[in-house]
Amino acid sequence: MRKINLTIYVLLFFLLPVLSYGQIEGEVLKPEGGSFLLRGATVVTVTNGILENTDVLISNGKISNIGTGLSASGATEIDCSGQFIYPGMIDSGTRLGLVEVGSLAETQDYSEIGNVTPNMQALTAINPNSVSIPVTRVSGVTTVLSVPSGGLFPGTAALINLNGYTPDQMYTGFNGVPMNFPTSARRGRWDRRSDDEIKKDAEKALKDINDIWERASTYMKLEDAEADLQYYPEMQQLAKVVRGELPLLIEVNKAEDIKNALKWIKEKAVQNAILTGVSEGFRVADEIAAADVPVITGPVLALPSRSSDRYDAAYTNPGKMLEAGVKVAIRTSDAENVRNLPFNAGFAAAYGMGKEEALKAITIVPAEIFGVDDHLGSIEEGKSATLFISDGDPFETSTQIMHVFIDGYKIPMTSRHIRLYQEFLERNPGLEKH
Amino acid sequence: MAKNKSFTSLKVSNKSINTNLSLTCMIKRQNTLMYLVLMFCLLFINPAFAQSDHSGQRRITGTYAITNATVFTQPGKSISSATIILKDGLIKAVGNDLNIPIDAQVIKGDSLFVYAGFIDVASEAGVSKPEDVKRSDDMDPSDPSNEVAGITPEREVLQYWDINNGEITNWRKAGFSIAQLVPKGEMLPGQTALVVYGDKESTNILAESTGLYAQFETARGVYPGTILGLMAKWRELYKNAQLKYEHASLFKEKGNGINRPEKDPSLEAFYKVINGQIPVVFEAEDELEIRRVLRLKKELGFDVVITGVKEGSKLAEDIKGADAKIVLSLDLPDDKASKAKMEDATEEAKKAHERVVAAYKEALSEAASFEAAGIPFAFSSKGAKNGDVFKNIQTMIENGLSEEGALAALTTNPANMLGISSYTGTVEKGKLANLVLTTDSLFSKDAKIKYVMADGYLFEYEASKSKKKNENVEDVVGKWNYTSETPGGTSKGTITFAQESGNLKGEILVDDPDGSGQVTRQLENVHYDGKELSYTFSIIVQGQEIVVNTKGTLSGNEFEGNLSIKDMGTFPFTATKEPDFNL
Amino acid sequence: MKKFTYIMLSIVLFGAKSLYAQTPKGDVLIQNATVLTVTQGTLEETDVLVEDGIIKKIGKDLSASGNIETIDATGKFLMPGIIDAHSHLALDVVNEASAPITAQVSMADVVNPFDVGIYRALAGGTTVAHGLHGSANAIGGQSITMKFRYGTSNPEDIFMKEAPRTIKFALGENPTRVHGRGKNIQPRTRMGVEAIIRNGFAEAQQYKKAWESYNSVKGKKNNTATPPTYDLRLQTLADILDGKIIIHCHSYRADEIYMLINVCRDFGVDKLVFTHVNEGFKVAPELAKYTMGASVFSDWWAYKFEVYYSTAYNAAILMENDVVTSINSDSDELIRHLYHEAAKTQRYGGLTDEQALSLITINPAKQLGIDEFVGSIEEGKQGDLVIFDHHPLSVYAVPQMTFIDGVKYFDINEDEDDQRIKVSPTEMVEPVYLKAEDERCMHGVELFMQEAAAFNHTH
Repeated sequence: MRKINLTIYVLLFFLLPVLSYGQIEGEVLKPEGGSFLLRGATVVTVTNGILENTDVLISNGKISNIGTGLSASGATEIDCSGQFIYPGMIDSGTRLGLVEVGSLAETQDYSEIGNVTPNMQALTAINPNSVSIPVTRVSGVTTVLSVPSGGLFPGTAALINLNGYTPDQMYTGFNGVPMNFPTSARRGRWDRRSDDEIKKDAEKALKDINDIWERASTYMKLEDAEADLQYYPEMQQLAKVVRGELPLLIEVNKAEDIKNALKWIKEKAVQNAILTGVSEGFRVADEIAAADVPVITGPVLALPSRSSDRYDAAYTNPGKMLEAGVKVAIRTSDAENVRNLPFNAGFAAAYGMGKEEALKAITIVPAEIFGVDDHLGSIEEGKSATLFISDGDPFETSTQIMHVFIDGYKIPMTSRHIRLYQEFLERNPGLEKH
Repeated sequence: MAKNKSFTSLKVSNKSINTNLSLTCMIKRQNTLMYLVLMFCLLFINPAFAQSDHSGQRRITGTYAITNATVFTQPGKSISSATIILKDGLIKAVGNDLNIPIDAQVIKGDSLFVYAGFIDVASEAGVSKPEDVKRSDDMDPSDPSNEVAGITPEREVLQYWDINNGEITNWRKAGFSIAQLVPKGEMLPGQTALVVYGDKESTNILAESTGLYAQFETARGVYPGTILGLMAKWRELYKNAQLKYEHASLFKEKGNGINRPEKDPSLEAFYKVINGQIPVVFEAEDELEIRRVLRLKKELGFDVVITGVKEGSKLAEDIKGADAKIVLSLDLPDDKASKAKMEDATEEAKKAHERVVAAYKEALSEAASFEAAGIPFAFSSKGAKNGDVFKNIQTMIENGLSEEGALAALTTNPANMLGISSYTGTVEKGKLANLVLTTDSLFSKDAKIKYVMADGYLFEYEASKSKKKNENVEDVVGKWNYTSETPGGTSKGTITFAQESGNLKGEILVDDPDGSGQVTRQLENVHYDGKELSYTFSIIVQGQEIVVNTKGTLSGNEFEGNLSIKDMGTFPFTATKEPDFNL
Repeated sequence: MKKFTYIMLSIVLFGAKSLYAQTPKGDVLIQNATVLTVTQGTLEETDVLVEDGIIKKIGKDLSASGNIETIDATGKFLMPGIIDAHSHLALDVVNEASAPITAQVSMADVVNPFDVGIYRALAGGTTVAHGLHGSANAIGGQSITMKFRYGTSNPEDIFMKEAPRTIKFALGENPTRVHGRGKNIQPRTRMGVEAIIRNGFAEAQQYKKAWESYNSVKGKKNNTATPPTYDLRLQTLADILDGKIIIHCHSYRADEIYMLINVCRDFGVDKLVFTHVNEGFKVAPELAKYTMGASVFSDWWAYKFEVYYSTAYNAAILMENDVVTSINSDSDELIRHLYHEAAKTQRYGGLTDEQALSLITINPAKQLGIDEFVGSIEEGKQGDLVIFDHHPLSVYAVPQMTFIDGVKYFDINEDEDDQRIKVSPTEMVEPVYLKAEDERCMHGVELFMQEAAAFNHTH
């Protein structure tokens, strides 16, 4: 554990430019493009081991070179000795950008009216200027899946990088359609339906999904046969899922529901299915592994779903699934506090998953699940320069994130939270005026 | 037997008996004539001086002899081949070799078992709920009137009781002949009273104001709205009642220079409790509720009878220390979960199920545990089904309760608890003629109740069970389309009724208040008497369960009535039956 | 141990009167640990001896007499039991939302010792929690400070009897939403919240006076005084004015925090702690000078408008401004890893290990008025201790054992998975809940706003 002197020193070091710019009225910090040479770091590549005392060259938004003693004219050199380079962390399930202030309906853009609204595009509603975005990215989380919610088919989720002024600048190569699999679980402590009622509601929901899937299949077949179809945006979008063009993100948590979902995937021959949530995955880990369906689980910092469960059931869930052979990514399911992703991974690591695998679960594994591992998820030449530099293990709260790069842009290490700290650490006037 | 010609006057005297009784306290005027007249009238309750009865329902005689029966005079004591002589509502003699009076109707007791009539310490049978108080639009929910807040300790349960209610018939049929009635309502619904389940022409009142009834229930949307507020309000009411009593006493004693105490019926209702004349009859189901009652008792110092108890034998020491009386609920948990088939379940589920089974077993043996802890307890019918009583008591016996203890809980314990053991609770000379006659020993599986005698009146039952069918349930069975007008707009849906072994059941499709679409809810308390149809169902709104009561009249394929929601109001409701094409 | 402690104790003491008054006290010797005392630095390879529930000795090579359980904690870390200054765990009801002032109600009446959440908190090293009323009312109910002696069925066994009385206040959006907008009664604004509190205090002064004058003549010859009406609400407020109760005030914005500081100063009330207090950092000098401190979230923000302009650096700014600061959970989930929440202050503001640990130990103890009993590892204090395998501020730290009064209530290696004390006889498999309750403070008040919407299907 560190002592205050070092921390304050480090903190002041990276805040210094901010403070001096802050003197100029109206000055705004912007992401910086160009070439950067990160000198002498320990590079945690994720896919190719750890490279000590290594340089990483960033140019044209990409990691153009990894090696020792690199030189590049025109590149801004950043001394990274004693520091670590990690690929940007990917949160594979959030609401980031779709809500600004949780309780204010005017700022809630994640849940549209209707039960079957797969045509609702999260990407359309993501606010690139959300205050939560800088708060998140300075923690090293560079990439998130923003997911709409509510109803059977809430919309279409989008994978975004946390830098850009238009949704298109942020979009980074993955769309998926979430589906809420019918559940026989309670929605919360206030849900006082009888067991029979819950079962009936779940059966009805499953029937609804089957009917809709049937309709989408028909739509797809007719579309493939180039029939002249009436405008039906919901089915148009679902047809893409049936065809396998768009992955289906099946939100399911209770053990029995997970089994039903796996059966359903098989029955419907869903081509590109991903299970999300999966809080009771540990109960049916072998079945999930056998079905070879990837899982996005979280939050890890959560209560067990049953009162008889061991206290650490949620902490150990990712590790247990991994051990059974399931491909596991970790999400926060959060919006303003997506910055807690590394800590969720840290708890998973401590409770059975191990550091290395937990790091993969928020980097290369989600990149693979989303099919974006060609440009994200690890430090490799040719991949997007979406990475961060830290002074230690990013899962540890005592570690500071020094720099963040997204698509090669050097991100200003500031946010509302940091600016308020700067203003109020030593307030002026203090208790008394003059 | 002389026929009395003054037909009409007698009829009046019979019906106005309640008023007459309460009038007796005004006789201090020494109006001897009036007194004599009253006495004269009272005598005519005795049906020995009877009039004609064109219904042909009246009994022939008030004298009975039960012969050659096995008589359990009290728990643990029995006489075989005994005779019991009963006359005019009292047990005249019990024993062998008794002379049978000439006017007695003889009941051959061969193979019958006779017990004292059962006593129910908290019953809602025949008690109706007072109408909800109308709340004014400008009411301050933080400071509602006592009435709105469910605080009406001044109410007498007898004002809301009807001996003709069918529930009483059912409970009498289950062997009960005396009940302490509890009023319906919320936190402090009113005062209890003691009645006998006798003839419908009698008032059947044994004692008024026998206890102050209290529950952990609150009115909605006003203070107190939860048990948090309820506990605080209880303390405050009680302390203010004490202060008011102090003030009133001072005023009475001194008068001069003392402010007039403001009249407050709610606080005055506590006086008898404060003086130790009556206990608080507090309904508390589980351990935590019982502890809350004991906490209040400890702080405030009243006598308490805790009713509707379903667990708490573990608190035996605390209960004894507090000298609290315990009345167990006759309701037992259902065995659906504990009897579930687990053969194909996971090891984990099996383990969890074992705990459910253990919890179920523990619930069934609560009565036995109380007995073992040396706490005498009685039973209450509130919340239980009359048809389940024997099955439930048998279950308690299977789980360790002694038969003697079970009988005591139905007879002598409640008599002691209620302070009425001088005149009831056992089969002894001079006690009220309240008896239960069964075809086999009371707690054996095949025992059926053949007769119940209550207040000297004999009620005979078919010893073979046949379920009473709802009247013309076919009128109701089928699918109905409904429309209701509520502040939220018009809502429509369907209700489906079906018949299951003579009983009506049903489900309703309603708009889901928490989302889109419709949800199915099971109907409960479905009643149909050939004309009036009523049922309830509940919906969840923002995590709160809201009970919707529907009541209306059926004529042909039309059902018209109201649906009412507590604290929200009553809304018109109509439904039309879909034609049945299968016919 | 845990529930069996009680069973064993009741067997041992069966019939003895002392059973009612006594909670279990244990003896234990923990050897060779890295002892994080919080108040007296870090002691390497040190032993801690607890006898009869009290820390008897801290030192090297201690020996225990008789058959005291000895635990080898070589390579492990020992810290004081974690204290949560804001929790709603193990309470059957959270809000009596029917009136803007409900000072008369008491959370002690609704403690539920069967809540398995207590065990889960213990498994996260939390030994003491302050159970508060919700935030629906400007002045809520009286709180209960609990020691999580799990295994008993008696709520009073988990009361911390040494703790002074405390009460909940609430400012801002919640009371104005519930009462003003929900029921059309004051307060609807932050102005109204101030007025409600001032009215309450002023009425309490009158009430106190009325009783004082009655009591002064009562019993005297020829007096004609009659007793005033007893009012538990005003009596409680009078007790606050008399300094008998510590206020814990739910608050977010700097202006409302400053408002209550002024109200309390006007009425001579100085036992005041602010809780949540997301904008506390903006009035840190005032909090430092006039209050018993601030109890904050590690990083919660943006879930409602009044926390939109807040910062995760709040705790650090407050600490650096000498405000007695704690980090609380307000959540049945967070209460299981307050050590992790406290550790976040190292990322957001670079607090030292000792500063960070004080946020969840000695500082909340001070705010609850129990720092002479708990909150640090010192000789003479109660034996509330947690053993961790790593330093508790590391994300990889896993609590190993938790002790209260020297009795072990959690042991990672020995405990069964299923820790429920009470099981429903009618539930086949207990319900699976998919979401934890959000923001427990407003628990149970939604209905006030939603009643009329029961049949409004437009969503």
